[in-house]
Amino acid sequence: MPVPLQATGTATPTGTAANGTAGAAPPSAPLADAISGLLGGGLLGDVVGALLGAFLIANLMLIMTAVAGPWAKRKITAAFTDRIAVNRIGPFGLLIIVADAVRLLSKELVIPDGADRPAFDIAPIVLPFSALLGFAVIPMGNGIHLADPETGLVFAFAASSIASLGLIMAGYASNNKYSLLGGLRSIAQNLAYEIPLVITAASVVIFTGTLQMSGIVAQQTETLINVGGIRIPQWFAFVNPFAFVLFLAANMAEIGRNPFDIPEAPTEIVAGYQTEYGSVYFVLFYLGEFIHIFLGGAIMATLFLGGPAGPILPGFLWFIIKIWAFFLFTQWARSAIPRVRIDQLIEIGWKGMLVLSFANLVLTAIIVGVIA
Amino acid sequence: MSLEEPSPDAGAIEAVPQTADELADLLGDRVLDREEHVNAPGFVVRPDEVQDVLFTLRDEAGYDHLSCVTAQEYEDRYESIYHLKKYDDPTDEVSVVVPTPSDAPVSQTAEPVYRTADWHEREAYDLVGIDYDDHPDLRRILLPETWQGHPLSRDYDQSRPQVVALREHANPLQEDQRAGDGDTMFLNIGPHHPATHGVLHVKATLDGEQIADLESDIGYLHRCEEQMCQQGTYRHQIMPYPDRWDYISAGILNEWAYARAAEDLADLEVPEYAQVIRTMSAELCRIASHMLAVGTFALDVYGDFTAIFMYAVRDREKVQNILEDLTGQRLMFNYLRLGGVVWDLPEPREEFFEKIRDFLDDLPESLEEYHDLITSNEILQSRTVGTGVLPPEVAKSYGATGPVARGSGIDYDLRRDDPYGYYDELDWDVITDDGCDNFSRLFVRLREVEESAKIIEQCVDILEDWPEDERTIQSNVPRTLKPEADKEIYRAVEAAKGELGIYIRSDGTDKPGRFKIRSPCFSNLQTLPEMSEGEYVPDMIASLGSLDIVLGEVDR
Repeated sequence: MPVPLQATGTATPTGTAANGTAGAAPPSAPLADAISGLLGGGLLGDVVGALLGAFLIANLMLIMTAVAGPWAKRKITAAFTDRIAVNRIGPFGLLIIVADAVRLLSKELVIPDGADRPAFDIAPIVLPFSALLGFAVIPMGNGIHLADPETGLVFAFAASSIASLGLIMAGYASNNKYSLLGGLRSIAQNLAYEIPLVITAASVVIFTGTLQMSGIVAQQTETLINVGGIRIPQWFAFVNPFAFVLFLAANMAEIGRNPFDIPEAPTEIVAGYQTEYGSVYFVLFYLGEFIHIFLGGAIMATLFLGGPAGPILPGFLWFIIKIWAFFLFTQWARSAIPRVRIDQLIEIGWKGMLVLSFANLVLTAIIVGVIA
Repeated sequence: MSLEEPSPDAGAIEAVPQTADELADLLGDRVLDREEHVNAPGFVVRPDEVQDVLFTLRDEAGYDHLSCVTAQEYEDRYESIYHLKKYDDPTDEVSVVVPTPSDAPVSQTAEPVYRTADWHEREAYDLVGIDYDDHPDLRRILLPETWQGHPLSRDYDQSRPQVVALREHANPLQEDQRAGDGDTMFLNIGPHHPATHGVLHVKATLDGEQIADLESDIGYLHRCEEQMCQQGTYRHQIMPYPDRWDYISAGILNEWAYARAAEDLADLEVPEYAQVIRTMSAELCRIASHMLAVGTFALDVYGDFTAIFMYAVRDREKVQNILEDLTGQRLMFNYLRLGGVVWDLPEPREEFFEKIRDFLDDLPESLEEYHDLITSNEILQSRTVGTGVLPPEVAKSYGATGPVARGSGIDYDLRRDDPYGYYDELDWDVITDDGCDNFSRLFVRLREVEESAKIIEQCVDILEDWPEDERTIQSNVPRTLKPEADKEIYRAVEAAKGELGIYIRSDGTDKPGRFKIRSPCFSNLQTLPEMSEGEYVPDMIASLGSLDIVLGEVDR
């Protein structure tokens, strides 16, 4: 519908009514297109739709992070360690989120002597945005799906690994040796784990034959087996549990959580790359880490757990439940599993996981090849 | 028999000198004079023959444990006393007394004989002002490097305060590269660092992530405890101080060290009933202390505040509640008195006993939990087994004691080997583990908690059946204690961290002439470079955690 740019604005009020039902109808349509459709389409509609869609999804993630960071993390850890945690401000202590936000944002922003600016300032922005970028291609159910390129999966991995850049920038720009150690550790760790991670994801792609996220999700809605009338869907966690476990472990390293929280390792290198960051910059790092955990959970849910699929509840809720389940798992690991040493981690990555992930890939390829 | 002619035949080695006279014969004319300390015979030797004498005593008489080095200044001379013991039999003690003239206090170093003398002599130099000839690194250890004078020497002006501003300290940000070629990185770990357990400063030189060189910088928490004790009267004014050395709830164990030394010095009897109470409360302190050690060690290896730390604190809390019922305090107990304890068990006694029994009943279950979470965890094992290795010979040379020594397979526990209190009447075991690594030290602590529980249980049984009219909590101690002048004693107890020794020299007044504390953490911390060099930073942190130091006791 090639409508001139200036005409779109005036056409919108009528266009909304006309296209409203039609645009929202197919649940698989990406969110940006849906909004654009609501707005009557066109270039401006596309731009506004994309921006608005991105805005909505980013905010959704930020809200989840806000709940997870200052509140849920404390409550979960407290439950693991026989404590009560925040319960003074608001119901269940929920208003601590507000209090914490004010506290963190009102702190003085200290820039260390000899910090390498602007790298020092860019790093805390790179981290959360790389993670948010990854969400662009994640189908969240009920039509909440920003973009669905054919290379969706690759894009998600690519976006999430930009974070390493942020970490190394923070590491060397802080002019602090602990930060430098943390930055170097994070690079070594990501190198060791990104390859098994992607290779394991590739074994899923062998099943689906597509990198498109919607295609991967659609494939998993098919029935794997019927057990006494209960339909078990073809989630790849059921089809290939080995790949699932492998991916889970590599994902923990990718997002840097216990037992692989080596780049931060508070008792060893103080706080690693974020040692010198405070105030708003610290908040950005903190946000970035949590969004990263959620992105990790989202990729896992999409690849292995049927994306937004699930009984009774709407798909979007199922999707949120799945990524929170992953978040819960990371917190469980944090409370219960010791950290491995950096050399042990590299060894596990290069000698263990890499070999296993290639074995998994080759075996999957053979099995799929024989069956198909 | 001299050092140059070690006796070649086995028969002579078996005939290890036993008595003071035999030792005097062994040392021959190197003995200038004989002294009688309450705990041991003392041999006065020339300052330039220290190494010779100590080598002889170590290699031919078997004194392999330099427990402590005490330095002091008399009116006419300086004096260093080397308190030697045997790891096999700590009651077999000997003191080597090295007088040096006031105008030239230079004495040969004992460092080549016992590595532990390194720090002990540095402390003697720092506080008293004796120069140790050929010492590898004679610098101040507790006081800032720009400090003027030696605070425990006689001509030191106590009335002039010295303020050492931060700018006068070595700037830790300067001169980063050591070893010239620039392949290494110098890293300050501490004094403010999440894993140094207080204000310890570790100067580490890293080669990549591995430790190339390591040096502990202590003294940030030096509070002149020895001097304060010298200014207090024996009877009441000293007892509160020991609580502040190892302040991680090991208070009663520390108090016992002072009580034992002072009671033996002044010939005080302690009623048996009080001994049982002391034994019970001391073991409660040991459990509390070990719980925290295990919890913080887990913290160092796990990273964040984890379940184990909270569980350990939870169990420690139960012990502290019991101790609070008993002493009225949770940390600074001040419960022991010379000749007994300050008051009897709290009324109603049944309730108190029941509380202890409840704790003891729950303990096996929670210990099982620790073993599930820590010792049987494979990641923790892969992190701790074989790291931070401290071979027994090295441990002995550094004077390591307590769980650190027992984790290196050294069967040494003063509660059994040098019995005091009620320990020899009770049925319990000394735990050793010959793994020599971080895991062994952790494991030994967890097992020791079990043994302490055994001791407490037996004490409770005994106390329950104690006839009501025989509950004497204190013997009859004079209001003012004035032990006769020049009586010297060095006595140690098995504190939570190891051998906590006190040297007291009386000068005829109601205050000690010299009060020296032998801190187990001080000696144990010295082993850190041995354990960590070549290891990764995380293993060094784990080793530090496994040493379980308390800076309050290291710096005193």
